[in-house]
Formats: sequence, structure tokens, C-alpha cells
Amino acid sequence: MISNRKLIWPLLALVAIVQSAALFDMVRARDSLLKSGREITLAVQPVDPRDIFRGDYVTLGYDISRLKTPNAQTDFPPGAASVGSDVYVTLAGATDGSWTLTRVGSAYPSAVAPGETVLKGRVNSIWRDESAGQTFINVRYGIENYFVPEGTGRVLEDKVRSHEIKAIVAVATDGTAALKGLIVDGERHEDPPLL
Amino acid sequence: MAEFAGITAAPRSSQRIAPMIQDHRATAAIQAVKPLPMWSPYKRRIKRDLDRWQSMGWVSGESRAAILADVEASGREFGLAPALGVIASILFGFAAISFVAAHWQEMPRLGRLMLLLATIWSGYGAAGWLNTRGLAQFADAAILFAVGMFGASIMLISQMYNIGGDPADGVLMWWIGALFAGIALRSNPALALAMILVCLWSFFETSQRHAVHWAFLIGWFMVTAAFIWQRWQPGFHLSALTLAAFVVSLGYQLDDGHQHDLVVLIGVIAAGAAVALEKFRPDVDAALGHFASPSFAYALAVALAGLFALQFFETPPLGKLIALAAVALILILAGIAYALSTGNRGALWIGYIGFSAEILTLYGVTIGTILGTSLFFLIAAMIVSLLAYVALRLARQSASTGRPA
Repeated sequence: MISNRKLIWPLLALVAIVQSAALFDMVRARDSLLKSGREITLAVQPVDPRDIFRGDYVTLGYDISRLKTPNAQTDFPPGAASVGSDVYVTLAGATDGSWTLTRVGSAYPSAVAPGETVLKGRVNSIWRDESAGQTFINVRYGIENYFVPEGTGRVLEDKVRSHEIKAIVAVATDGTAALKGLIVDGERHEDPPLL
Repeated sequence: MAEFAGITAAPRSSQRIAPMIQDHRATAAIQAVKPLPMWSPYKRRIKRDLDRWQSMGWVSGESRAAILADVEASGREFGLAPALGVIASILFGFAAISFVAAHWQEMPRLGRLMLLLATIWSGYGAAGWLNTRGLAQFADAAILFAVGMFGASIMLISQMYNIGGDPADGVLMWWIGALFAGIALRSNPALALAMILVCLWSFFETSQRHAVHWAFLIGWFMVTAAFIWQRWQPGFHLSALTLAAFVVSLGYQLDDGHQHDLVVLIGVIAAGAAVALEKFRPDVDAALGHFASPSFAYALAVALAGLFALQFFETPPLGKLIALAAVALILILAGIAYALSTGNRGALWIGYIGFSAEILTLYGVTIGTILGTSLFFLIAAMIVSLLAYVALRLARQSASTGRPA
């Protein structure tokens, strides 16, 4: 511990302010992403309903969580993917509000149509099916965990049995995605922005 | 482990190897010493040695009292009370976290943020109050609490915004915050926490990316520089230990996990450098706070860990295994001999442990093969005879020169 009595209070205040500012900046960055990011909704893949709300957070699976290569739209050769590398998926929006995968690449696409949005993910694991000649790439986008209030999990769990659950995702222009909330049976569950 | 200050070095080996015949008076004196209410092995040892030296007439009662008073005054030992203070601060942290977790949902979100910030500020406030009352070590415990709450806040904000599955980024922010607090407030416990968090960060990154996390070295270097600036010896050991673990982990990561020869090479070179520093430039070593001796111990451990992996993790053919085992045993013997001659307690222990592990594992591996047990006993016999020969030579050498070997 510092021995200079005169300096101790200013230095303590400095450390407290810097750490508080770092936390505040974390909140601000996330808040602005949720507010200004382009909002898309993604269908959550059916998860075993008994399993989904087991802890205080749920793990969500999406169609784009498991990419299959080679496929028609990809410029992402199976050999190029390594665990931990970045993946950019392009989604096209339909009039009914659903989003479908159109392209997969290892870099941000040079041209994005107005109706499209790009999500940035990271390769989590790779599984090769030698007999079918296919590679399955498991990707995480940072939208896989939804924290639920303690005790309210059961109510949501009953609704999830019908599998009518969608995720509200905010996407920044660089592809960073943030989970805003869930739509369960057409009902939005979402926290308002903090700031 | 040998202390970095090298306080323990000289008298140690003479106790071990030098003939004890003329020491019967000393033994009596040692037995007469009552159990001491001290925590420090150094203090305990110097008191015991002083009793012996006084009984031999080398030290007067006056000098003895003066030396003991100096040791008492200069020894900035970590006593029981501050240790309990640190434990208490960790418990306070857990109490705060479980309170927040229990009342989390009832609180408006802005209130949650304010509560988190309030716990951090109260930690630093308590540190300032304790420091002005002259309780610097308790103030350190309060800083540790505040840094812990900083990390807890990162986790709880992540949860607030559904940021999951990427703990590495959060831990990165945490260790930078801990390092900043440690440097600004010159708080050693906060720096130690920063080093542990650098390791945790590296662990998360490695398990996510399945590649060597070289950025670990940046974090390691920054925290180590802070330890050097603080001249905090336990910190040096933490640095050496974490770096040694990183080097050993390289063997399991590079080249699909088959780069243990590189680990051995790094360990041997580092050990050689430590020996060279201690032998040829003792002045530089002293200026660096006698850092060669513990470095040798850690380097020896790294080399042995690499050799161990080469022999028993890689499953080499029998001929290569025997050659590697011979290299390992020669290295262990050389390490033990050097540790004995320089009074390097840490390296001596690593030599003993390495020897036991080597022999036991060799036994386990070779048992059931045709060469099996006979080979094992042959090697063991050769090693023990070699050890005896080395010990005998060292004892003779110390007897003839009249100074500790």
C-alpha cells in the first residue's frame, strides 16, 4: 500500500473513477448497440423444453449456429475454417419478418444489399462428416445466452413447449450482434435501454 | 523455494552435508530452544543459528540481541492479522455478491449499476480510512475487495445485457483494472490478483481458440514489471511460476502438442543462463536481488516437465525412452549437485521430486515389458551409486577447503 498520506485519497479516487468509468463505458457501448443497431428477429431452434430454462440463463440455438459446407452460397472453403476464426454470415430479410441465410464468408462482404444484414460470429467447433463429404461448423455470435429473472423461468418454459420463440437481435454495422430480448407467442420480453 | 534475497543460501548446505560430529553442543542448544511464536521460517532459523553461534562463542549475547532486534524490525512479514484481513475481505465480497444476486430482479436497472459502483467506492473508501489509521495491510485487503467487486460488476453487467459465452473479454477488462489499482495504489495483493487473472484470461482464450495465446506474455510482462517496481519477492515467484507453466503448456499446444523438445531446450538454456549469472557475474546477480538461484529452480522444473512429457506422454520406442531417461537422470543429478553446492533449496527439492517421479514412472512404464523390472533396478542402482559418489565428493571437498560446499 502506498505510504504517502497526502497522495492516498486522490489516488484512491482516481482508481475508483477509472474503474467506474470502464464499467460505465461497458454499459454505454452495449446500450448504444441495442438502441442504434439494426433489429432483426431470428427463429430459435427447438430446444428440449425440459432443458431450456434450467439455470438462470437459457442457451439459444439458431439456424445459423450450425453452418454446413460446402453449400451453394458459401465462399468459405471447409479448409479455411479453424476454431476461433471469424465468420461473417449474410442474412436476407423477407416481408414476413423472417431472415434467411444467403452467404457465408471469412471476411465482411464487399457488397451488401439494402435488405440484407451481416452478422459476425466466431467458429466454436468443427465437425467433419467424411462419408458425406460435408463439414459442419458451429458458430457463436454472442447472442446464445439469455438471462432470465429468477423464478420466472417456469412461466416462459410452459410457453416454450409450443416452440413459438423468437430472438430479438440488434446488429451493428460491423456485424457485432447483441441479444435484445425474446418474443414468446408474439409477446416481447425486453428490457428498456438503461441510458 | 529459495528466497530471492538469497538469505538462506550459505548456512543451509553446511548444515546438510558438513560432518556434524563437532556439533553435539549445538544440537543440545537447538533442543533447548523452545517453540517460537513466529511465523517466519527465516526468523525461526536465525534465532536457532544465533543460539548455536553464541554457544560456540562466536557471537556475544549483546550482538545476538542486536541482530534479533534488527531482524524483528526489518522483517515486513505477512502476519496472521493481515492474512485474516484478506480472507475477511474475500468473504465481504461474496456477501455483497450474494446480496446483489438475491435482490437483483427487484431493483431497477439503473439502481443495480449504482449499487455495483457503490460497493467499489466503499472498498476504496475503507482502504483510505484504514490507511490513515496506519493499518496499511488491512487497507490492502480493502483494495483487494474493491478490485474483486470490479470483476463482479463486469460479470453482473454482462448478465444484464445478455453477454454470455465469452468470459475472456470480461477477464481481460478485470485484470487491466486490477493492474491499474495495484500500480496506482502500490498494492501487492491487487497485483497478485492481476497475475492470476492474466492466467485465467489466457486459459479462457486458449480453450476457445485452441491456439497458443501469445498475448499472455504481454500481460505477464506488465504485471511482472509492476512486481519489479514494487520489489515484492512473492510476486517474483508468482511471475516465475506462471511463466514456467506457460512454457510447459507450449509443449502441449505447438505442433499439435508435440513440441516438448522446445520446452526442454528453453528450460536447459534458462538453467544454464542462471548458472552462468550466479558463477560469473555474482555482482549483477546481487544487483538483481539474487534472482539467479530461484530462476535455476524454475528452469530445472521446466526442463524436467518437458523431458517427462517426451518420455511418458509421447510413448517413444524403448531405445529412445532409455536415452531420454538417461538424459533426464543426468540432468536431475547435475541439478541436485549444483543445488547442493550453492545451497539452492528450491532446486534441491525439484531435483528430489523429479528423481522420485522419474524413477516411479519409469518403473510403471517398463514393468511388464521383457526388460521390465531388471532394467528398472539396474537404472535405480546406477543412479543411487552415482548420487552417493557425488555426495561423497562434495563432502570431501567441503571438508578439505573448510568452507561450505
